[in-house]
Amino acid sequence: MTQPVLSVRNLEVEFVTRRATLRAINGVSFDIARGEVLGVVGESGAGKSVTGLAVIGLIDPPGRISAGEIELSGTRIDHLPPEQIRRIRGKRIGMIFQDPLTSLNPLYRIGDQIVETIRTHTNLTETAARKRAIDLLAEVGIPAPEKRIDGYPHEFSGGMRQRVVIALAICAEPELIIADEPTTALDVSVQAQIIALIKRLGRDHGTAVMLVTHDMGVIAETCDRVAVMYSGRIAEIGPVQEVVRNPLHPYAKGLMGAIPTLAGEDKRLVQIPGSMPRLSAIPPGCPFNPRCAFVFDRCRVDRPEPIRQGTQAVACHLFDPVKETAA
Amino acid sequence: MSATLIDVKNLRRVFDVSKPWLNRMLEGGHLEYLKAVDGVTFDIKRGETFALVGESGSGKTTVARMVVGLLPPTSGEVVIDGVSMTDPRQAQARRRLRRRIQMIFQDPYASLNPRFRVDAIVAEPIRAFDLILGERDIKARVGELLSLVGLHPDDGLKFPHEFSGGQRQRIAIARALASEAEFIVCDEPTSALDVSVQAQILNLMRDLQDKFGLTYLFISHNLAVVRHMASRIGVMYLGRIVEIAEGRKLFENPRMPYTKMLLGAVPDLAMSGRQRIPVKGEIPNPINPPPGCSFNPRCPLAFDLCRQKAPDLIEGVACHAVNDPAAAVPA
Repeated sequence: MTQPVLSVRNLEVEFVTRRATLRAINGVSFDIARGEVLGVVGESGAGKSVTGLAVIGLIDPPGRISAGEIELSGTRIDHLPPEQIRRIRGKRIGMIFQDPLTSLNPLYRIGDQIVETIRTHTNLTETAARKRAIDLLAEVGIPAPEKRIDGYPHEFSGGMRQRVVIALAICAEPELIIADEPTTALDVSVQAQIIALIKRLGRDHGTAVMLVTHDMGVIAETCDRVAVMYSGRIAEIGPVQEVVRNPLHPYAKGLMGAIPTLAGEDKRLVQIPGSMPRLSAIPPGCPFNPRCAFVFDRCRVDRPEPIRQGTQAVACHLFDPVKETAA
Repeated sequence: MSATLIDVKNLRRVFDVSKPWLNRMLEGGHLEYLKAVDGVTFDIKRGETFALVGESGSGKTTVARMVVGLLPPTSGEVVIDGVSMTDPRQAQARRRLRRRIQMIFQDPYASLNPRFRVDAIVAEPIRAFDLILGERDIKARVGELLSLVGLHPDDGLKFPHEFSGGQRQRIAIARALASEAEFIVCDEPTSALDVSVQAQILNLMRDLQDKFGLTYLFISHNLAVVRHMASRIGVMYLGRIVEIAEGRKLFENPRMPYTKMLLGAVPDLAMSGRQRIPVKGEIPNPINPPPGCSFNPRCPLAFDLCRQKAPDLIEGVACHAVNDPAAAVPA
C-alpha cells in the first residue's frame, strides 16, 4: 500500500481552562490517500473543525495537542516549531475557511494577495507570479481573470470570493487541502458549483482533501470516504456509499434518518432524543450512551474502540463479538 | 368560514437604497430603489402549510414580514380571514386578529429576551391580550405550554442562556402558541440548528399542526425541509414567485427552468446519480435586475421575449418558454 498523504493517530486536543481541562478531541485516527476526499461530518461541537485546525497547526493556546501523531507524507508535523509549520502551511497544506469574506484581506487587491502567497512559497518572479495568479483564477472559474485580478474582495460575490480563496489554497500546489465548511455560507446553486470545483481539483492534481462539513448531502456528493464524529471521537468511518446507505453506529443511523430528503415520503423524521453533551460533562463510557436506544451496561463503563466491519470501522460495543464487560 | 385563511394580492415592497441627499448633491448619483418583492400573489388555506423557497435575496423574509404586518407593503394587500392588514377602516378588526397570528424567527438566540425568565417570555402574549386573568392560572397555562413543546414546566424558572438552540426554538414555539394562534409564520425556523435537532423541531411542528389545526407560512432555503413540511410551495426568484405548485408535483415535475436548476443543485443523499442541469451564474444584483424575466441571463431556454417582457404567473408558472412553447424558438 502506498503511503497516505495524511495520517492521524490517536489525536487528542485539550483546552485548559481555569475550571477544568476540556478534551475536544479524544483519540481520533484516520488516513487520507493521494487524490482522496475524506469527509468529516458531525453536529456543532463534535470536534470537526478542531481536527482540521490541529492538522494545519492552528490550535492556539489555551488549546494544545496533548497526545497522538500527525504525519504528512511520512514526516511528523505535530510537534514542529512555529517557524517550520509556517513553511508547511500554505505550501504543503492549503486551507479553505467557511467565510470567504473574512479569509481575504479587504484592503488588498485579490491579485496582490495571490501573488504574495505564490512568492512566499515559490521562487517565481513578480511577473511570472502574476501570470500564474491569472492562470489560477481562470482554473477556479473566474471569468475575465486578467481584469478581475485587480479587483478588491468586496467587488466579488460570495461564490466568486470562495473561488478566490480556493485559488489561494492551491497556488503552491499543496499535497493536502483542508476545507472547513467551504459551502455553508453559500446558496445551493452556488454551492453545487463550488463542490464540483473542489472535486475536479482533487482529481486533476491528485490533491488529498479533508472536507469538514455538517451537511451530509455535500458529503454524499463529494467524498470517497466519510468519518462521522461525535463528541470528539470518530463514531464511524468508511466508504461514503456504505456509511450513507448502511450506517452501523446508532448515532450515524439516527443522523441519516434525521435528514429530510427530496425523494422522502411524508413520514416522520427519525428523532434522536436529547442533544450532544457539553465538553465539560461527557458521560463515561461511550459518549453517545445517554441518547442511544441500544444502550447496555458496558456502554456506560467502557469506551468503545473502532471495530472493523467490512470496509467500515465503527466505535460501538454492539459490534464487539465479546459483548460483556471485561471486568 | 371560507377555506382560504390568508390571501396575498400583488404584494410589492420597494426599499430606498440611495445615498443620503447630501452625498447625492456633492458626489452625484441618483435615487436607487431595490424591489425586494415585486408583485407576489398567493393564498393559504386553513390548516395547510404553504412554503416559500428561494436563495438569499429572493425576498422570502420580506414577504413574511409583510404578511404578519411588521413591514408595510409599498402596494398590494394582505387579507387574513377577511380582514385587510392595510385598510385603515378595518383597524378595529385587525387588532382582534393580531392574537391569532404569531411568528417564529430564525435565530433563537436573538428572538428571546435574555433578561426575561422563560415563564415571563411565554406568558407575555397571554398578558398582552388579557387571555387569562390571575397569576396562578397563567402559571398553570405556561407549564402546560412548556410540556406541550417537550420542555419541563420547571424550566420556566430558567433564563434563555441556560438552553441549547433547539430548546430555545421550543420556547419560541411555546410563545407562539400562548396566544392560541391559528396562523404561524415560520421564517427559517431550523436553519440555525443541527440536523438531529432540526428533525426534533420539524416533527414537533407537524404534531402541533395536527393537534391544533395550525396554518403555517414556512420560509426556508432548504428544499428538502420544505419538501418534508409543505403541502404547497412557491419558488421565489428576485422578488417574484416563479412557480407555485403542490409539494409532490413540484418535486416530481418542476416546470420553470429555475426550479429545475434549484432542484438539480441540491446535494443528493440518495446518490442516485441523477441527471442534472448544470448551474450557471449567480443571482443578479436586485438593484439593477436584467430586463424582462429576471432569470433570463442564466436560463437555458431564454429567447427574445424573455429579455423584453417579464412573464406573468399563468397556471402556476411564470415562464414564457413553458407558457408559450410555440414562441420559444431559441434565437
